[in-house]
Amino acid sequence: MSRPEEPARSRVDTRVDLGGIRLRNPVLTASGTFGYGSEFSPFVDLTRLGGIVAKSLTLEPRQGNPPPRIAETPAGMLNAIGLENVGVAAFVAEKLPLLPAELPVVASVFETEIDRYAEVCKRLTGVPRVAGLEINASCPHVKSGGIEFGQRPALLAELVRSARRASSLPLLVKLSPNVTDIREMARVCEAEGADALSLINTLQALDVDLATRRPVLRNGLGGLSGPAIRPVALRMVWQASQAVRIPVCGIGGIMSAADAVKFLVCGATAVQVGTANYLNPLAAVEVAEGIEAYAAAQGLARVADLIGTLEMPTDR
Amino acid sequence: MKQRATPLRLDAEVLENRAEGGRSFRMRLAAPGWPGAEPGQFAMLSPGARSGAERYDPLLPRPMAVYRTLASGSAPSVEILYKATGRGTQLLAETRPGDRVRLVGPLGAGFPLPPPGARAILVGGGTGIASLYELAARARTRGPVAVLLGARSADDLMGRDDFAALGVSLEVATEDGSDGRRGLATELLEAALGEGRDDCVYACGPTPMMRRAAELAAAHHRRCFVSLENHMACGFGVCLGCAVPSAAGGFALVCRDGPVLEAAAVAWAGVP
Repeated sequence: MSRPEEPARSRVDTRVDLGGIRLRNPVLTASGTFGYGSEFSPFVDLTRLGGIVAKSLTLEPRQGNPPPRIAETPAGMLNAIGLENVGVAAFVAEKLPLLPAELPVVASVFETEIDRYAEVCKRLTGVPRVAGLEINASCPHVKSGGIEFGQRPALLAELVRSARRASSLPLLVKLSPNVTDIREMARVCEAEGADALSLINTLQALDVDLATRRPVLRNGLGGLSGPAIRPVALRMVWQASQAVRIPVCGIGGIMSAADAVKFLVCGATAVQVGTANYLNPLAAVEVAEGIEAYAAAQGLARVADLIGTLEMPTDR
Repeated sequence: MKQRATPLRLDAEVLENRAEGGRSFRMRLAAPGWPGAEPGQFAMLSPGARSGAERYDPLLPRPMAVYRTLASGSAPSVEILYKATGRGTQLLAETRPGDRVRLVGPLGAGFPLPPPGARAILVGGGTGIASLYELAARARTRGPVAVLLGARSADDLMGRDDFAALGVSLEVATEDGSDGRRGLATELLEAALGEGRDDCVYACGPTPMMRRAAELAAAHHRRCFVSLENHMACGFGVCLGCAVPSAAGGFALVCRDGPVLEAAAVAWAGVP
């Protein structure tokens, strides 16, 4: 495989394998924060990323929630966009061809019923440009009255089993952090054949407009993202990576290379940059380059040597 | 559709940042490589790192109209008029020449120019005035331009002297009567439309003002273009946070489909 020239300053091997998806560096972009990728072409050379996770896809196009859809919070933001996406067919026909051929593209799958999830997975399997699937388990399950798939182990198991049957592609499951014990959810996914885990999705949250005593979002509740959630994400990534053998992709408020390295140290094999893409369209590429520089400064031959090197005290 | 200029991401040096009365500020940023902006386009601005430390609170950049592009030889600069009304804009107000401000732009769809022979009526309220300067400057080369500016008081009125210097017709309304007529800019619009000329209306300001301008233009069977404001995290079509409902159903993104939209295409009842 031919690869673009590495910067001369470094001989660090930045490659990682995320559940069968080979990445030239461990930095992907989180679903919902990077559009379908081509929106960032004016700003960055997309091939400098490890890969992208595209905006979650449903069987049919969806319009999303009425506004206000986002709000700023201390060192973070709330969103309730509401499934807005072009649908799986338009993604394959119109969005994928805009991306460079050497960029690994993970398609995120989002639905309200298990058989619909499986159908989206089927339609993405065999599409040459799709390197893997990421099951977004934070969607409300209609039949259970809106509880997230990722909040009930039996429901999550059924979802992963169904997706596993529907596709031979590398299968990532993106876990909801809105659970009592993330380790249990991680084990369920591993047992049902997931190839990797992505975590965390946004934390369910609420903010209030005191002038009206109404929620700031039209949807009421939203998902909290940004640097405010990073320590929670690090804790859950560490716990999940301790609980399973499959690789973990760390997500949650990564703004800099130092933040990303913390996730690797806590057991993540790769990371996803999310909210930072909004503030700075160059953020993910800057994180990728910064990780390499950090590894070089530490005298490491491989970025992968950082993974899971946390020295957690054992005397307590 | 006209090809839009490719946006840039810059750590732009602050060349000038001065108070202009009330809470209004005028900031000029060095913008090497800036491709110029269509009237009504905007940029995302955030105060940069301070003392070398990144700051993530407030987290999000703020959408700001490009007031005008000043080309000085090979070193273009961008001027922004804004008000320090919240934490984000207050931090911008505290930047000094030599500081760096993060800028992404130019972004969005701008104002179409008026048809030949038509009079362009530009209605600006509050910080919305900043979206209209480049439009006034370009429209005046095609036909008559009437600029109607509204603010709470004379102190709040942004850019008045710049518009006056363009040599266009300029009328002012202030809610306290401290400058021009006491009242709202839309009252000036109602009088202007009553003259029965071939007008094209452009409005930017608070939502109730734009909604009223849209109603008046529709009642007089005149086209009206508005430049909407909304919360947005990115400015280039990926956060999907800035959706407003369309008259035809579904949503338009203020950052990508706008900020300038034809007033009749907006479902005003659902605009926050």
